[in-house]
Amino acid sequence: MSGQTSYKADLSTYLKRRSFLLSVGLITGGIFLNGCLSKIKSKYNIKGSLNGPNAKAGHILRDKVKLPEATVFRKVKILIVGSGISGLSAARWLQKNGEKDFEVLELENHPGGNSHYGTNKTSSYPVGAHYITVANNDDDLLIDFLKEINVITHFENNIPYYNDYFLTFEPEERLLINGEWQDGLIPDFGVPEEDKHQIKEFLAFVNKLKNTKGNDGKFLFNIPISSSSTDKIYRELDKITFKKYLEEKGYTSKYLLWYLNYACKDDYGQKLDKISAWAGLHYFASRRGNAANAEQNAILTWPEGNGWIMKQLAGKLKEHIKTSTLCYNINLMENGNILATVYNPDTNITENIEAEKIILSSPQFINNRLLKNLQRLIDYSTFSYSPWLIANITINELPQSKGRALCWDNVAYNTASVGYVNSAQQHLKISEDKKVITYYLPLCDFEPTVARLAAYSRNYEQWLDIVIPELEVIHPEITQAIENIDFWVWGHGMIAPTKNFIWSENLEKARAPIENKIFFAHSDLSGISIFEEAFHQGIKAAKQILDGGK
Amino acid sequence: MNKKLPALLLISVFVVATCGLIYELIAGTLASYLLGDSVTQFSTIIGVYLFSMGIGSWISKYFEKNILSWFIQIEILVGLVGGFSSTVLFLVFESIASFRIVLYGFVSLTGILVGLEIPLLMRILKDRYEFKDLVSKVFTFDYIGALLASLIFPLLLIPHLGLVKTAYMFGMLNVAVALIVCVSFKKEIRASKYLQSTSILSIIILLIGFVYADKITSFSESQTYSDTIIYSKSTPYQRIILTKKNKVLRLFLNGNLQFSSDDEYRYHEALVHPGLQALPYAKHVLVMGGGDGLAVREILKYPNIDSITLVDLDKGMTGLFQSNKMLLDINKNALLSKKVKVINADAFSWIKAQHKKFDFIVIDFPDPSNYAVGKLYTNSFYKLVKGILSPRGLMVVQSTSPYVAPKSFWTVNKTLESVGLKTIPYHNYVPSFGEWGYIIATEPENPYKKPQNYIPGLKFVSKESVDLMLFFPKDMAKVETEVNKLNNQILVKYFEDEWANVL
Repeated sequence: MSGQTSYKADLSTYLKRRSFLLSVGLITGGIFLNGCLSKIKSKYNIKGSLNGPNAKAGHILRDKVKLPEATVFRKVKILIVGSGISGLSAARWLQKNGEKDFEVLELENHPGGNSHYGTNKTSSYPVGAHYITVANNDDDLLIDFLKEINVITHFENNIPYYNDYFLTFEPEERLLINGEWQDGLIPDFGVPEEDKHQIKEFLAFVNKLKNTKGNDGKFLFNIPISSSSTDKIYRELDKITFKKYLEEKGYTSKYLLWYLNYACKDDYGQKLDKISAWAGLHYFASRRGNAANAEQNAILTWPEGNGWIMKQLAGKLKEHIKTSTLCYNINLMENGNILATVYNPDTNITENIEAEKIILSSPQFINNRLLKNLQRLIDYSTFSYSPWLIANITINELPQSKGRALCWDNVAYNTASVGYVNSAQQHLKISEDKKVITYYLPLCDFEPTVARLAAYSRNYEQWLDIVIPELEVIHPEITQAIENIDFWVWGHGMIAPTKNFIWSENLEKARAPIENKIFFAHSDLSGISIFEEAFHQGIKAAKQILDGGK
Repeated sequence: MNKKLPALLLISVFVVATCGLIYELIAGTLASYLLGDSVTQFSTIIGVYLFSMGIGSWISKYFEKNILSWFIQIEILVGLVGGFSSTVLFLVFESIASFRIVLYGFVSLTGILVGLEIPLLMRILKDRYEFKDLVSKVFTFDYIGALLASLIFPLLLIPHLGLVKTAYMFGMLNVAVALIVCVSFKKEIRASKYLQSTSILSIIILLIGFVYADKITSFSESQTYSDTIIYSKSTPYQRIILTKKNKVLRLFLNGNLQFSSDDEYRYHEALVHPGLQALPYAKHVLVMGGGDGLAVREILKYPNIDSITLVDLDKGMTGLFQSNKMLLDINKNALLSKKVKVINADAFSWIKAQHKKFDFIVIDFPDPSNYAVGKLYTNSFYKLVKGILSPRGLMVVQSTSPYVAPKSFWTVNKTLESVGLKTIPYHNYVPSFGEWGYIIATEPENPYKKPQNYIPGLKFVSKESVDLMLFFPKDMAKVETEVNKLNNQILVKYFEDEWANVL
């Protein structure tokens, strides 16, 4: 690389950075100013809280705050950093295979990562991931696990029978479109015939893809992603955006495009124009799980969302999980072991932990900082995380509206959010005066970096001013019925499978263990943020350690 | 003195007479609605009322000074007492013990106050007319007022305003008289300002009552029921309405008829006896739903039963059927029996926590017209019921109409079968409901044996009638359906479709 080009590259990075800083400055400054001006109070008199992942711990990592010198030194055979689903899954696998000497470090004061949940007087509710679908029938590892936690109760003719209390109760989904709530989320009510035709065509197409295998005998799109076909012509789809792909295919119906855009926002937190065509199709063509007692691809959910599954995992690992423990530095020791420096913000004590192996089940934007002392040729900037706002709304009674009654999933056509779920759906009580609804807003109108900083700078009242007007569109006069709203901001909510990401060399490198000492397990290494990927990432890393030890 | 004033006082005689009679009629009507037996009620109310008027007349001699001012105060008081009478009576109706006391207390109080009015008026007017003119004029207006009241009450007021609003309206008229008299005679009255403001305040209070009367008995609601609403209450779970026409009581929950007192025996006998008569060894019975205690009444006819557990969501419902005299007459005090334990709980959550087994289980839930109730008709629920059914026991499920809603009926049957129970569907005709269906379910190893005879005293069920009930004619024949599950709630969809054609 000549000095000249290097200089140019530096300059362009510099300019890019400047324009980025400018836009961030303008947006966050605007929000801040607006916050100062509207100190006179939001016009909505609603109480609640504004929360998110431990910002203080994140700050320590990012800004290299000076921490106390380590006063404790101890040894653990295997360390796992992060107790989201991938970390817990790795720990479960180690435990299942007789390993006892391991520790899971979690910087929050609770395990769970994205599957965290909350509870108030009315109900438990998710603050992140809130459902899984029936497992693909070739996914033996997942099926074993679901059986272990009684999500699958038994098998009928080798087909899993799912726990009736966990399969989403009817009524399941409704869409507010053209002034009425219709059954299901695929636009239908008041949709012109031509659009319906395109929708039908698209669904038939993805349904065909779903059941198609590549030349290597693998499904084109599968879960986990790593088990998908390697056929080049499909992997090429990762190099264009879903939007471009749909244009090329001639899909023009605004209703169809809305639906696909909704799907991308729902699963990836970004719009059609950001998501790769491969990932866009994966959403529709990868789930083919059959159940003995439900339709294909049926949804399983709990009042606390995936928090319920997380509790099943964490429950058996209690002695191994260390919460409020921030791992902020990892070094290779001369004896070939790992030295992890961890800090407990509650006790203000820093520890050095020597481990034989370590699994980083933390996301790559964290790993980037943890491994700052190791030279890695990985471009972390390709990891793009979608920020989200989750609002848990305690409500007395939803106003009457036209069409289908309250469902588990309630989506409104052409709104910024992806709707809300009713956390009381799986309650068995016949009559409840109050309920908690969980409203999901992907912050995808700006670049994630900008949207994230904007989200961090908003105060409670400003979130009310964003969320309530949309709720009022969906349910006029809902505001009076709201008792409480708790906001949760996920700065790095989920990995976005942007183009050239899932099947990139960079991601492959990021997945590769370092010197058979440091292993990686996080759904961002799959490229999509779903329970199944995290679950398999965890097992894969645990297996790498167990196999390497033999 | 202004010549117009005596005329004004005579008009007030007329209004006062009308109001007085209206209050009496309201009390009589309410008593016959709520307590039944209109001849007795009207007769005792009129007697007590007239007697109280006599007391009032007698007391009137103790009023010596400021008679005009007393008259105005009494008017205001009559207006308030009469205006609120029907509201208070409706509200205390639930606790039957005190109801009669409150009722006759009201009647006496109004009677005494009304009884005071005419003598006082006559004394006010005594210097302005000759005695014979006075008597003739006062009583003429009095009786005309009475005639008017007795005509407009049944013809205009009850059909268009309802009892509660009528009471408030005449209360306001009463006080209005007080106000007008007070203003017209202000020079002759001490503290007329005070009396004026009291009457204005009273009118406002009565007006508020009038406006909010719908909260007590909604007028619009009364329009939707062909019979007279004698009781209504919104509990956290449902709206309970009791109506009465002639001697027939009907209970509606959220607008759906639950029973009609003239033919409910057909339903409850059919629900209980074909099953329970087949279980001579049955000791412990569970009733789910059925907070009216009518199924329990039938079950209590078997001396071999030791305990009956009734699980009903709504305390408002079971409480009503444990305390109201009229309703206790219908369920024969069933819910007060020592053998009966009433539990107010959500059936699904309750049964999930149950381990005790029952020999006979009656499932008498409302029809599956919404997803909430629909959960109680799913395979998941029946699995739990099966879990607490003793091996030789038997359960019976009210299963909507196999004639109007065959798919719904046979879905319940299919769902029961899907959890490994053997079913015996049957049906009978209940005039208020039409053709109605029930399903008995047992463990397959202990199939249902048809009883050869039944306990005495039943009006409908017998060996012969049960044979007929077990036969399904072609128009109600079995249809193939899916199993109703929490994750499909297919029954609610069928039920909606099938009943939509009827309602």
